Amino acid sequence: MFVPLKKNQRVELADGRTVTVTDKLGEGGQGIVYRVRFDDSGEERALKWFFIGYLKEPLKFYRHLEDNIKKGSPSAAFIWPEQLTKYVAGEPFGYIMKIFPKGYESFSKYLLARVQFQNAAAMVNAALNMVAAFKALHLKGYNYQDLNDGNFSIEPKSGKVFICDNDNVVGYGQKSGILGKARYMAPEVVRGDKQPDTDTDRYSLAVILFMLLVGDHPLEGKKTNYPALTNKYDLRIFGTEPLFIFDEKDSSNAPHPQIHQNALTMWKIFPSFVQKAFQQSFSQESLLNGKNRLLENEWFNILARLKSSIVRCPHCGEEMFLESDKISVCQSCKKSVKAVGYLKFPKRANREVTVPIFKGALLYDYHINSASEDFDTEVAVVLEKPGKFGLKNDSKIKWLITAPGGKTFARQAGETQILVADCKIDFGKNTAQVIVNN
Amino acid sequence: MGMLNKVEIVRKMCPVIFLLDTSGSMDGEPIGAVNEAIKNVLPELISMNEENPDNEIRVAILTFDYNVKWAVGETELVSPQDVENYWKNLDANGYTSMGAAFKALNEKLSVSKGFMKRASGSVAPVLFLLSDGEPTDDYKAGLQELQKNSWYKIAVRVAVGYGDFNEHILREFTGNEGTVLRTSDPDSLRNTIKFVAVTSSRVASQGSNVSTDTTNANPDDNTQAVADALENQGGALNAPLDPEDNF
Ligand SMILES: Nc1ncnc2c1ncn2[C@@H]1O[C@H](COP(=O)(O)OP(=O)(O)OP(=O)(O)O)[C@@H](O)[C@H]1O
Ligand SMILES: [Zn+2]
Repeated sequence: MFVPLKKNQRVELADGRTVTVTDKLGEGGQGIVYRVRFDDSGEERALKWFFIGYLKEPLKFYRHLEDNIKKGSPSAAFIWPEQLTKYVAGEPFGYIMKIFPKGYESFSKYLLARVQFQNAAAMVNAALNMVAAFKALHLKGYNYQDLNDGNFSIEPKSGKVFICDNDNVVGYGQKSGILGKARYMAPEVVRGDKQPDTDTDRYSLAVILFMLLVGDHPLEGKKTNYPALTNKYDLRIFGTEPLFIFDEKDSSNAPHPQIHQNALTMWKIFPSFVQKAFQQSFSQESLLNGKNRLLENEWFNILARLKSSIVRCPHCGEEMFLESDKISVCQSCKKSVKAVGYLKFPKRANREVTVPIFKGALLYDYHINSASEDFDTEVAVVLEKPGKFGLKNDSKIKWLITAPGGKTFARQAGETQILVADCKIDFGKNTAQVIVNN
Repeated sequence: MGMLNKVEIVRKMCPVIFLLDTSGSMDGEPIGAVNEAIKNVLPELISMNEENPDNEIRVAILTFDYNVKWAVGETELVSPQDVENYWKNLDANGYTSMGAAFKALNEKLSVSKGFMKRASGSVAPVLFLLSDGEPTDDYKAGLQELQKNSWYKIAVRVAVGYGDFNEHILREFTGNEGTVLRTSDPDSLRNTIKFVAVTSSRVASQGSNVSTDTTNANPDDNTQAVADALENQGGALNAPLDPEDNF
């Protein structure tokens, strides 16, 4: 039977070390999480203590956790189980993990508007960090199974992400027996056609990204606004008749004008390449046939492009996302803004890579090295002087510029290159070309 | 509105409705325990709301003695924060008009005429019944009416019996033996109310993870989901009462 732990109670770990309970950190549907301290080193950890009554085969679940501990964490973003408590048949058990660092807020708090990102870059970073974490997870052969809003903690000023509640993560082809929360489950899982796997994780990830950026649920619009939400309706909304609120062909489930405020205002803020990515992720093909879902790599490149589209509106000074080759409307002052041109890089994961030529636009290591996934280290900034734009080299490497006439010359770190039509920049490990908009 | 100033995401309502026996026999320690319990439950409901982007708990409290009265929620369901802000202790006296209480609940469990109206919809409500004795009116007629209400059918129905309560009626109300808990001393009454109210509110508002090997044949049987939770987390009830080591 389940027995909660008490303050000062000592618990033995599988390796014989002991920890003492000092506080309660939280409680979920699967167990209680306590703050504990190692008796020998004094180091602190969180201890998740399971309601074992829910486990059909407790030993099997224990072995599953043991397996994941052995295989190890996919990346530093995961608060991974470190060690199990000693197994005693019929008694509750748990595992220890790191405690969330200070300054991180649960994703739920952002959705509930209790916490805000410090700036647009932090919000986009959060999305990039989530995608990078899931890429690492899938690369390691795991899938998450029950991905939902409760799994993320995010730092408001940086967008750094920690992923918790990794108990149900399983290896390729394995089943955890957990299907997830209806709002986040892939439609084929809701319908009962399929068990969770990497593909269904990708759907859940797209839901999370949509909620993070746009602030509403992608499938909840005016058509799904039922007074009572029972399983019958859940099945319909999320399983058998799912329809994206911004579906390209069918607007019958558009956001409800009185209810879905975020969807109505935030959707317009995003450049067309982000809107298209969501329209593909939640197309009928994806929802009904499980096809056309975006891979993490595709999301990664789309979001990196989004990050480099952040500029300040020249009319009102607010942050906005600027398209490279078309007019964008600043949603703060409703005025139109257009870049004179853009830097065009070779495609990555078959996705366009561009940066608008506009005052303050930034390039990251990602741009100057085609193998880099570093979207944080700034290596160049677009500067503006009356009548001309330049690109300042803030990297440590020398750039080679080829002028339209064919003349070449070098730009050292700290120097600024005037951007003219068709000039090419060789960054060493990547190249870009200046394209002028007409 | 800047791109970072989003409004709160659209949530569904999760009504948590208490039907509390405040008849004369509850006077003294028992009603004191009930007041304490409710005051202890509210902060838990507030923190659930602060972490749940899917559903928002709203509360109503109906008391029944010789009168039936909405102590909270007369016109609409109230946030647990507001219940806490405007809390007045309940008194106990008079008879046990349970049938009238069921009728009053039935009227309110309606979108058009009651308090179940929410633009973004509602999930299954929690119906919590506390009783310490025999009804002094025709409970049967009231319950039969209530049982036809479709909100009642999908509701999480839980009950706590105190002292000389009528087990049979509580089971009839919940329709599930697993969600009727009993106790006969005031201290444990306080803990039992808190445990049942908090566990059922958590299950109703957060939904449980859907699992493939569920024993729950009917997915809309939310009462059974709570029966499972009460059983699997029941150890919490046996925790010591000393707040020092009980967190
Ligand atoms: N590593 C940690 N450090 C600090 N607090 C934690 C940690 N892990 C969990 N918690 C706290 O405990 C709560 C419950 O944890 P968790 O979400 O893992 O439980 P769960 O039973 O799996 O929940 P769910 O019902 O979402 O599946 C969390 O909301 C959080 O507040
Ligand atoms: Zn503007």
